[in-house]
Amino acid sequence: MNVVQRGLRSIIRKPVKSILLLLVVVVISSFFMAGLAGQSASIKTQDATRQAVGATFRLEGNEANRHKRLDEAAKKISEGEDGTYNGVIFKHFADGSSMVKTDNSFETIKPEDAEKIAQVDGIEEYNLITVSTVVNPVNFKRIEDSDVDQSNDLGGVNIRGNRIMEMDMDVSAGKIEIVDGRMIQENETNVCVISEELAQFNQITLGAELQFNNVKDKENSRIYSAKVVGIYKTTQKIKPVMSGDSYRSENTIFTDLHFPEKASGEEGNPLFQYAIFRVDDVRAYDRIKAEIEKADIDWERYDLIDSDGNIKSMAENFNDMEKMSKMLLVLVSAASFLILVLIFLFWMKNRTQEIGILMALGESKKRIWLQFLTEALLIGSIGFVLSLGVSPLLSNATASYLARQTQEQAAADAGSVSTDYVAPELTIQDTEISITGNMVAIDAGVIAGLLAFSVTIAGITIMRKKPKEILSEMS
Amino acid sequence: MPEKYDEKTILEVRKVNYHYKANRDKKILDNISYCFEEENVYAILGPSGSGKTTFLSLLAGLDVPVTGKILYKGEDIQKEGLNHHRKENVSLVFQSYNLIDYLTPKENVMLGGKENPEKLLAAVGISEGDWNRKILQLSGGQQQRVAIARALASPAKVLLADEPTGNLDEEIAEEIIEILRKSAHDLGKCVIVVTHSKAVADAADMVIKINSGKIEEIKNF
Repeated sequence: MNVVQRGLRSIIRKPVKSILLLLVVVVISSFFMAGLAGQSASIKTQDATRQAVGATFRLEGNEANRHKRLDEAAKKISEGEDGTYNGVIFKHFADGSSMVKTDNSFETIKPEDAEKIAQVDGIEEYNLITVSTVVNPVNFKRIEDSDVDQSNDLGGVNIRGNRIMEMDMDVSAGKIEIVDGRMIQENETNVCVISEELAQFNQITLGAELQFNNVKDKENSRIYSAKVVGIYKTTQKIKPVMSGDSYRSENTIFTDLHFPEKASGEEGNPLFQYAIFRVDDVRAYDRIKAEIEKADIDWERYDLIDSDGNIKSMAENFNDMEKMSKMLLVLVSAASFLILVLIFLFWMKNRTQEIGILMALGESKKRIWLQFLTEALLIGSIGFVLSLGVSPLLSNATASYLARQTQEQAAADAGSVSTDYVAPELTIQDTEISITGNMVAIDAGVIAGLLAFSVTIAGITIMRKKPKEILSEMS
Repeated sequence: MPEKYDEKTILEVRKVNYHYKANRDKKILDNISYCFEEENVYAILGPSGSGKTTFLSLLAGLDVPVTGKILYKGEDIQKEGLNHHRKENVSLVFQSYNLIDYLTPKENVMLGGKENPEKLLAAVGISEGDWNRKILQLSGGQQQRVAIARALASPAKVLLADEPTGNLDEEIAEEIIEILRKSAHDLGKCVIVVTHSKAVADAADMVIKINSGKIEEIKNF
């Protein structure tokens, strides 16, 4: 009778010990797989999230080039004279002082340049975002804090135009959620989305027409109306670009792309601060970037930023999740090893007589060890197969738990730093779990290794004894 | 090369000494020498603690002498290894049967060797209906018969038995003794039995009395 035949009989005819080991293997294997899947989930979800919020390029003005263009303009205009060159305006006063002013054409991202980049293969969609423009609210009141110094404030609200509102940086960062109505679509005109605080404060509902005009000429400038199509709430306050209540989060109003230039008296002369380009496949990110850089535009004028900063924060969060998954793997491995050693010690102790008998019959210690290992691996194999059914459920639960832990940790970290600016809340909405063949192979290898190592360690104490000592213990 | 030995001698104990490591002063076996021959039943008698079970353990290769040698057909049993000795040269029967409880009687006999287990079980008086039962469902006498059948399944020429009738009633004990006698006289084995039983001693061809680690008396019947 060989070791496999003996092992099989022991497994079947001593079912209690077999079932105990089977359950332990199922639990260990499932948790180990969950740890592996958790690691993979963090990476996969990271990619998916990049695709959703971070796989973008941002075009913005280059500051050094701006100064260079100012200097060039200064050279073009004769010294001591008034003049305009490429959007730079020089004015000299009688008292000898002078003023240099730039118009929107000097500062803006050129729409035609954005359009060229948008034509690059792999760019799915693009957005233009105007500078936050302070305008006068004509038929409603802004929200004010009486304790805030308003001496340098223009006394208006700030409006921000988007080609596609859902691609606005604060929207895609998850700071804003529509609670009533909808976002502004491409090519709409004279529409706006306001904060719920502003809506409540002024009793504004959807469909209302809000009126705005130039904040620097409240009495005489033309009034423009925008229809309220949506009301948003902030999950985090929008970062104000300047102090004063004109820029406070509640007074931020989203509009269609060209409304700010009209309401500020600059119709036909827009000021686009950013252009955002979304890629259609995150895996082609580097190739698309290279293609963009080949576009026929004045690159000295711009900076191309890889992302809007969300990826870094999100990646840090996911790295934390990956660390937690790794920690889970280490803990599961260590605990499993201890549990298995204890089980096999108990096993061997209860089978001392059998070991003694087999030794007395001339069976080598190696073959006796091999029988125990065979039993462990046979039970382990069944347990492993069963765990494949349990693992996906446990993996999902574990990954969700780890994701929650990661979020809570991130929230705790954010709360520990005092700052005016609240970083975007990076909510892990869901985790994507899939168990790959590679994971199954790793899990199987680890389980087999743990069983073999545990059987060996547990067997050392008994296998070191002479047969006579074992038989004496038995009698 | 085997050392010089008498052709009839199958197992030889040569100047064997044994003591426990913890108590070197107390000799368990003191310079014992003896030759065992095939086709004989040997009964080893002696009071408790006289060293007879240790003597059997050394013959079985379950332990090794501190000094001296155990020779099988003139060759030191440690040369081929004690596992080999236990597997090929000797077979064992214990007082407490020592059967593996998750194997049936038939499977336990198969552990001993390649001999037909059914034939052996029938020969020791185990009825066919009991061949595949659970070991623990058998009586003590039946279990000891299975243990003897397992020993007989081995091709070994030496059968060592430690108090094989110690746990059995008189009638069953007589049957076991008869099986052991047949093993020696019909199958040509050398049967060495450690016993307190007068019945076993009476059935033996040779009685060896051990006292205080020394062979005190040898009786030839």
